[in-house]
Amino acid sequence: MLQLWQQYLPDFFAGVVVSLEVTGAALVLALALGALLVTARTGRVRVLRSLAVGYIEIFRAIPVLVLVFMAYYSLGQVGIRLPGFWAGVVALGAFYAALYSEDMRSGLQSVDRGQREAAQALGMTNGAMMRRVILPQALLAFLPPGTNELSNLIKDTSLVFTIGVADLMFQANQASAATFQPMDMFVLAGLFYFAFYILISRILARWELNVQRRRS
Amino acid sequence: MHYVALYWAVMARGGALDLEMTAIAVAISVVVGVLAAIGKLYGGKLLAAIITGYVEVIRGLPPILQLFIIYFGLSQFQINLSPFAAGLLWLILYGIGYAVEIFRAGIAAVAEGQGEAADALGMTRAQGLRRVILPQAWVIMLPSLMTFLVLQVKNTTLLYLVGVADIMYQARLGTSATEQPAIMYGMAAVAYLVINLTLSRLGGVLERRVEASR
Repeated sequence: MLQLWQQYLPDFFAGVVVSLEVTGAALVLALALGALLVTARTGRVRVLRSLAVGYIEIFRAIPVLVLVFMAYYSLGQVGIRLPGFWAGVVALGAFYAALYSEDMRSGLQSVDRGQREAAQALGMTNGAMMRRVILPQALLAFLPPGTNELSNLIKDTSLVFTIGVADLMFQANQASAATFQPMDMFVLAGLFYFAFYILISRILARWELNVQRRRS
Repeated sequence: MHYVALYWAVMARGGALDLEMTAIAVAISVVVGVLAAIGKLYGGKLLAAIITGYVEVIRGLPPILQLFIIYFGLSQFQINLSPFAAGLLWLILYGIGYAVEIFRAGIAAVAEGQGEAADALGMTRAQGLRRVILPQAWVIMLPSLMTFLVLQVKNTTLLYLVGVADIMYQARLGTSATEQPAIMYGMAAVAYLVINLTLSRLGGVLERRVEASR
């Protein structure tokens, strides 16, 4: 088994790089779109508010695999042909934007109303108040659920192998077909995914501890 | 549009299979989950460590990888499960991993204080759990349980990858027959949307009922 692992390790590493690239690109898209959604959702324009709520409800209810297929096959049929990598990024980004915007919203809501009033009393403009008072505190509250979501995002990137992206899962699939040793290969892939999970959840735990210490 | 009419019935059959598997898996994982949560809270250090390790593995590995380990991985040891059996087994094992944590949190939240009151009344631990803690814990856990149900419905989409004839499988077949992926995956999306939004609405109604009756 170890010999087989050694033989396929370079392929797996290449797969890990692709998985991380998908994760990174999807994360950027999700955060940007999520910020837009939360701005629309908490804003004054009623139509935008309903649109944001609708988007969040709909995307949270559709399974990620369906979104991946829609981004790759369905968009392709209507003339938007994305390569597998970008179809995966769009699907994951669109889904996680809905989740992130909810985390951002509860982050914003966690900031005490008094903070806003204090900033206004000091004569700050709306922009200065957001930048210097509200957002720094909201970010602190957003980070734990945001990190948790990131660990789910990495796991969900494993779905892009279904549209031919050569990620970690894809390499494990190839290797298990070539060697007829599926258990060995999927366990090896599992070790990689588990390492990322442990890494992120430990960072998360340490972060929470730090924040609590600073606050008390 | 005639594609929709043509494939509606097949998709519905796929949806029925999805719901059936979800229902069986959730029922079993809730029962095992309650027992495992009680084991983790009161069963000593070793049992708690084993259960924690299990939950970490279920949470740490991608769902699709877990399913492939059960379906393809076990075949390496001549354990050949049917797609349905492998899919159901995975849904149950995955569900237990989530249910344990939901119940542990729910029971722990009530047991603080209420557990001591039950002790003070001379109840045994089993009596305290059954008569005092669990009835209250259910109410607290209702929202997480509904989220869990929706999560499991979404997880059934992965089962088509090992050959279970669910909604995704039908959408896939429909796509190769008609070359209309926009319509076929659109129908699949609408099907899941209807199921999941209905479940979350039902959950909301249930929660309000329970809240009102207290």
